[in-house]
Amino acid sequence: MLTFKHGTIEIVVDEDGFMQEPEKWNEDVAKALATTEGVEELTPDHWKLVHYLRNYFLQFGVAPMIRKLCKETGFDLKKVYALFPSGPAKGACKVAGLAKPTGCV
Amino acid sequence: MAISCSYYLEPVDTRDLPGRFLEAFAAILAHSSYAPVLDAAARAGARCGRCTVACPVHQASGEARDIPCNRTELVLAVYRRYFTLGGMVRARLGNAFTLDEGHISRMAEDLYRCTACRRCKLECPFGIDHGLITHFGRWVLAEVGIIPKALRVAVREQLEGKTHNTSAIPAAALRDTCAFLEEDCRDTHAIDVRFPIDEQGAEFVFFPAVSDYLLEPDTLTGNAAVLTATGASWTIGSQYFDGINYGLFYSDRMLDRIVSLEAAELKRLGARRILIGECGHASRAAKAFVKTFCGGRDAPEVVNIMEYTADVLRRGLLHLRPGTIEERVTYHDPCNIARSGWIVEQPREILRTICSDFVDMTPKGRENYCCGGGGGSVSIDEIRPFRTKVGGAAKAEQIRRTGATTVVAPCANCKKQLREVCDDNGLGHVKVVGLHDLVLLAIDAPASMRVAAGPKEGA
Repeated sequence: MLTFKHGTIEIVVDEDGFMQEPEKWNEDVAKALATTEGVEELTPDHWKLVHYLRNYFLQFGVAPMIRKLCKETGFDLKKVYALFPSGPAKGACKVAGLAKPTGCV
Repeated sequence: MAISCSYYLEPVDTRDLPGRFLEAFAAILAHSSYAPVLDAAARAGARCGRCTVACPVHQASGEARDIPCNRTELVLAVYRRYFTLGGMVRARLGNAFTLDEGHISRMAEDLYRCTACRRCKLECPFGIDHGLITHFGRWVLAEVGIIPKALRVAVREQLEGKTHNTSAIPAAALRDTCAFLEEDCRDTHAIDVRFPIDEQGAEFVFFPAVSDYLLEPDTLTGNAAVLTATGASWTIGSQYFDGINYGLFYSDRMLDRIVSLEAAELKRLGARRILIGECGHASRAAKAFVKTFCGGRDAPEVVNIMEYTADVLRRGLLHLRPGTIEERVTYHDPCNIARSGWIVEQPREILRTICSDFVDMTPKGRENYCCGGGGGSVSIDEIRPFRTKVGGAAKAEQIRRTGATTVVAPCANCKKQLREVCDDNGLGHVKVVGLHDLVLLAIDAPASMRVAAGPKEGA
């Protein structure tokens, strides 16, 4: 079992740094996870994306379709990559505390 | 000693690993038809090397271990020594090959460097199907717990998880996504498409690669547009809606259980035919194995969505605007549907209709090159450099030579892989799309589907 430590944060993660216990997520965890994605500071745009993903996940148990994410946040894919360089699934979802996407994703 | 390989593994029980490997090997031989396959290959055993010219992995890596008959030899060495009379006698005389953890480790690594594209089978003068022998070897490895974690986790969710699909999408999210796609299509294309869910007695139940519900809105909407426009009787099943079948890549036992879920959903909905979306391995898994595992002659028929679309186009039931797509387009044949010659011409008929500048790659069709992500490897993110620079090198060069700016890849695996291949090989300007993404742009929808322009409220 791998753990990720950052300041006072200590969480269980998989090999790629995705949270294994998504219920332990909070904004401080998001800030800590963001550092692993090369995002040192979460701007209001980052938070908008992260909260949208988080809320969708809490409601439906999975990440939304990427086009829905773009449409509802008003960010195009280019903007999403500018915010999270590893992209929506591997960057933004990780910071929002979702598990690593599985299957052909 | 632990098994070391370049992909993630869940912890492997290494107690008496060679013994357990041989036990699994024997059990599979006893309960399957692989024994004659291995026997014929072991008797031929020529290793003439003709396959070197066919394998894109070997061509790019130059490594001897990537020559298909060398890979096959890893499995045959075990077969000869432990399962043939000659091997057993030779072992008594000393100096025989002995299976140890090192050999198992080598198989774990080398059998997963193959993309299961089976191009080598075309070249083998003995007719040895190296892809099948690699598949067998992976199955034995799986029985002792050696499976790439990415495949294992996805199959576990599909067979034992709450959602019963590889991307862990709950039914509520499926409904939300389908409603979103219907709305998005009205907004963007001004046509009404339907994604029917749980309609009893439909002719077809639709199983795309489930990841399409996260990543491929245009492919799915294009699929639904064709089905809606031609009045097809179809439905998505809320209890099982995933076409993906990683069992095809590592275990016939899982392959059986997964295709059986498709057949069961068909039965629940009182439907007659399985309609697979744009996905190569999902199509082959269902086409070849629903018959094997779900009723033989009485098994439901399996149709790929491209067969359906080509058929309604030929019969004049679907209208597409000729020449809608003006940029240069090429087509990538997914190995799992093209190697057998099953689906080669159908997508090209559609593309020649809607594209004004369609060019083919060389070679193509049955002789195509793999995208480099076949055999389940595309799901293994941690081997991306190998996939895109070695496995996908031949394909990148083929795409470059066509000068195309759009590559049509009607397969969820191939699409993901080719996007990464293009990014990693200086082809960032190339778009990789599904076939129905383009059909959606070219469809001349009947009046009944057209949404009146302007705001809808009022009345």
